[in-house]
Amino acid sequence: MAQITGVLSKFYTDYLTKTPKKLKAIDAYLVYVLLTGIIQFIYCILVGTFPFNSFLSGFTSTVSCFVLGVCLRLQVNPENKNQFYGISPERGFADFIFAHAILHLVVMNFIG
Amino acid sequence: MKYLIFLIFALVIGAKAQGNTLVLLDNQVIKETHSLFFKSLQDRGYSLVFKIADDASLNLSKYGEYLYENLIIFAPSVVEFGGNLNVDTVTQFIDNGGNVLVAGSEVTGDVLRELASEVGFEVDEEGAFVIDHLNYDISDEGQHTKLVISSENLIDAPVIIGSKKGIAPLLYQGTGILVDSENPLVLPLITADSTAYSYQPDHPIKEYPHAIGRDTVLIAGLQARNNARVVFSGSISFFSDEYFTSSVQRALGGLKAEKSGNQDVATAISQWVFKEHGRLRVKSVQHHKAGEKTPPQDYTIMDDVVYKIGIEIYDNGKWTAFSANDVQLEFVRIDPFVRTTLKNNGNGIYEAKFKIPDVYGVYQFKVDYDRVGYTRLYSTTQVSVRPLQHTQYERFIDCAYPYYAGAFSMMLGVFVFSIVFLHMKDDDKKSKHE
Repeated sequence: MAQITGVLSKFYTDYLTKTPKKLKAIDAYLVYVLLTGIIQFIYCILVGTFPFNSFLSGFTSTVSCFVLGVCLRLQVNPENKNQFYGISPERGFADFIFAHAILHLVVMNFIG
Repeated sequence: MKYLIFLIFALVIGAKAQGNTLVLLDNQVIKETHSLFFKSLQDRGYSLVFKIADDASLNLSKYGEYLYENLIIFAPSVVEFGGNLNVDTVTQFIDNGGNVLVAGSEVTGDVLRELASEVGFEVDEEGAFVIDHLNYDISDEGQHTKLVISSENLIDAPVIIGSKKGIAPLLYQGTGILVDSENPLVLPLITADSTAYSYQPDHPIKEYPHAIGRDTVLIAGLQARNNARVVFSGSISFFSDEYFTSSVQRALGGLKAEKSGNQDVATAISQWVFKEHGRLRVKSVQHHKAGEKTPPQDYTIMDDVVYKIGIEIYDNGKWTAFSANDVQLEFVRIDPFVRTTLKNNGNGIYEAKFKIPDVYGVYQFKVDYDRVGYTRLYSTTQVSVRPLQHTQYERFIDCAYPYYAGAFSMMLGVFVFSIVFLHMKDDDKKSKHE
């Protein structure tokens, strides 16, 4: 148990000190997206699936945002530079915005 | 000359239209002994062609066209037909919509037995009579084979035999017929009483008789799937002048009449078998959305739809409106999604209004009217049912607002995040410089 708390506390301090601020911002965004998705899911369980297309588009919107966010985080992370050689963080961010534009078009089309 | 050709032509056409009937006889005597029956047919407009059953020139068709619409076989003892006629050609004749009336007797020949089994009947063994020791006529000669049949034993189908009530008791002497009760196309038109059985009257009963009681069918009918009709009687004397005109009296008392009901029933049966009765057809089919007049290219799910079908029946030589209250409509996509009774609007028009189910696909309006004695009425109309168009869906549903809010908050989230993210980059660079 002590080990686990030790690991967790080390993880936490490392995260606070070593993780770049940009990644922290992305993480905050991801947490927000995750919570929104969970809330929608619980609401659907409580109310029922009636406007099923609305639920689907609302929920998939959060899921997709989360996935895109994670992708951006991977590309922006300085530690992954070797894997994304030639793709600058700016390029990654542009892709992120472009994907979002398409995603929200689809979501708005489907939400009814 | 022209007139002559025209006259001949008209005669040929006219003769065809009247319903040519080939009558096969054992011998010319039958023509005389059954003259009343034949006369009633001729009076109704049938042109009868009498031939001996083993005449070598017999032919049902010529150049692939049938010469006759109806065939009467009053030749119980014929062993083999003459000419081109055999069981196969007669069966083919039925398959092509021809109507056949056959009368057998206790000496029914092999060819008729074979024909009977082709159409779903089985004639009892040679020499077997239907015997009933309780319901025999006073003129019976001791073997109790001349039976008095109550009109109660007729099939319960007014379209075939008319109203049962007015019919006097019937006289019957002949063999019994077995029918497969599982066969839905076969109709036992007249059955024997529960005390009857079918056996050779001269022999002591050693085996269980083939037909017992009400299972002994005296006259059996078949309406094939192509609406061709076949009637098989176990008695040729049922149609004879003697039976038509004689009086009936049950020997043990009870049923009694000055004149037997044979003529009425024989006439009714001949009318049915030659399709003077119980012929239905579809006159028109209409369908459209409620409140419209013409059928749309396709229906949308949940549409209110109106379906109308006009049905006619052939009666006294012309087509008239058919009236019933049990015609049903099915709206079918593999399985019926809607099954409803059509409302009789009078004039043979039947109408149904219903809501198309919430399932899209290719559907059929299907009317399948199959009743005892009537020809089968079958009509299908195919329509396609499509889902709602994009503009037809419900918008701004109250309970969907959380989802709307979620979707928009995602957009807002990206916007805010972008600003933060871009500005943070600057901070990072500054901090690097420092």
